[in-house]
Amino acid sequence: MSELIETLKVEKKEQGWKKLLSKFGSLLALIILMAVLTMTTDKFLTVSNLMNIARQSSINALLAIGMLLPILTAGIDLSVGSILAVSIMVMGIVSVNMQMGAVAGIAVCLLIGAGFGLLNGLLLTKLRLPHPFISTLGTMNIARGIALIITAAAPIAGFPYLVQFLGSEFVGPIPVSFLLVIAVYIIFHIFLTRTQTGRYIYAIGGNKEAARLSGINVDRVLIIVYTISGFMAALAGLVMVGRVNSAFPLAGLSYELDAIAAVIIGGASFFGGVGTVWGTLIGALIIAVLRNGLNLLNVSADFQMTVIGVVIIAAVFVDVLRQRKSKAN
Amino acid sequence: MKKVLTPFLSFALVSSLFLAACNDDQSSSSGSNSDADKNVSVVLKTTSSPYWKYVEAGAKKAGEDLGINVTIVGPSAESEVIQQVNMLEDQISQSPDAILISPTQPDTVIPALERAAKDIPVVLIDSDATFNGKTTFIGTENFSAGQEGGKQLANMLQKGDKVVLISGALGNPATDERIKGAKAALEEAGMVIVSEQPADSDKTKAMSVMENILEKDQDIKGVFSANDDMALGVLRAVQAKNLDIKIFGTDGTEEAVKSILDNGLTGTVAQNPYNMGYQGVETAVKAISGESIDSRIDSGITIITKENAQEHLDFLKSISK
Repeated sequence: MSELIETLKVEKKEQGWKKLLSKFGSLLALIILMAVLTMTTDKFLTVSNLMNIARQSSINALLAIGMLLPILTAGIDLSVGSILAVSIMVMGIVSVNMQMGAVAGIAVCLLIGAGFGLLNGLLLTKLRLPHPFISTLGTMNIARGIALIITAAAPIAGFPYLVQFLGSEFVGPIPVSFLLVIAVYIIFHIFLTRTQTGRYIYAIGGNKEAARLSGINVDRVLIIVYTISGFMAALAGLVMVGRVNSAFPLAGLSYELDAIAAVIIGGASFFGGVGTVWGTLIGALIIAVLRNGLNLLNVSADFQMTVIGVVIIAAVFVDVLRQRKSKAN
Repeated sequence: MKKVLTPFLSFALVSSLFLAACNDDQSSSSGSNSDADKNVSVVLKTTSSPYWKYVEAGAKKAGEDLGINVTIVGPSAESEVIQQVNMLEDQISQSPDAILISPTQPDTVIPALERAAKDIPVVLIDSDATFNGKTTFIGTENFSAGQEGGKQLANMLQKGDKVVLISGALGNPATDERIKGAKAALEEAGMVIVSEQPADSDKTKAMSVMENILEKDQDIKGVFSANDDMALGVLRAVQAKNLDIKIFGTDGTEEAVKSILDNGLTGTVAQNPYNMGYQGVETAVKAISGESIDSRIDSGITIITKENAQEHLDFLKSISK
């Protein structure tokens, strides 16, 4: 018996090691990437460029942290790009077309996002659709369609200052949007590691049936997970509107894929239960640094897509190896 | 442990080598232009469609002729609006001497362009945006493009003939202006406009719109369409009924020019994307050296009919290499 406990302890230790290494691995990849770019372009390691990266990564970073939750439960949320679009279009209608002010616009934007997220959760748990891939694929199309219908596909510009604040302002050289990202990530870290619901999310991803049998209200947790993901999509939309001073119905098209990529590159497992907040941040930064670096090197957009594709496959390959290893154990 | 780390390291290594290789390419090309002291950054809607390849070719040629460095970037699809903003910011952070841009969603680039325009000339091509400090806008004068097309069409018809206008998506300023121009010219020449309908710049939609029109009235003699794709859709509807109707498009795409050669479309009002790129770089260089620039420059149009279609097709092929 004591022998068994001893082996369990060792295994646990080793797993801790492995976790550290996979986290350390993606951080290492980011550092090497940045080092190479510093050596190959003289404009990469400048304050203004690093702040560009911080700004450019913030929309995807916000979507990705929302996406981390469904992926931790072995699910997925394909609707975030479309939810972003419908949220900002409604905000445009409220605060620009109807002149109802910034606060009302922001509130409505975030509520719409959370509302669509809630819908995703309900479709999954109450209608018992077999997989979130299907429910969120449905809402992806519904939300995009509504975004196009409500403004007859026209963009909306001229938002009040308060709406633009998050996406356009700076504190010293640092973009407010990046400070928001840091704050949000700290909150998510605390939520996932220090609260009961956070631990339930990992438990559901690890083994849904076991979680249910041990008395966790799985449906309730899943509804929370998708609601938060939708809310984060709306928040990312708010940042986007500030950045470009306009809302357009095709905003966020295929952004869900970049968000998924960030989560996966950051070391989360598609099988659920594995993944961290900081890994996701590194994943989002790797994508942003890669894009920025390839732009600075004047690599064509088509080639950039190819490179990002290779990076995703390489990252998932690591996930596969990890799975294989843990199964072997 | 090793197994976990190896892929990361090999990825980092591969990407390093790859980036180093990219950089070699760049340094060799800038090495050959080492005399050049001016850098012009060109940000397009995309670099992955024929129309924008023509703009790219024009900008490149101007760079060669004038001996300056021209950097051309653009997202892989016109739908990637924010990626275009990112690319613009990345170009600005490299402090070029001038920026040439064609915005996909004009509002989205205004904050970045307003900041850039404080220091350097900013030239817009193809699609305009309104902000403080803009140097100029170079593009098709859409009203006169429509007018020219209308005139050509009227010349091929008799006074009192029935004609149809096919417009783009409602509220699209470019296609609306073309239709207004064509309408003015056709009415002046005594044509009777029996129908004016939008088909959202879409081929399939234009085909069904034309099918519906022909259900009611087969005595149509001419059609003017605000772009070539819609003209080609109209053509399919007309051919299905075996009618002889003169159809004019706008844009001058390769598909439309080929159709003209095959006795399909009657003609098209070709825009001049190559010129937009060429004139754009030329104008940017003038602005850098402080010359005064008109606030609106017409990139010109060419009427393509069967006589000059082959010539135009050869030109398109020569610049898209």
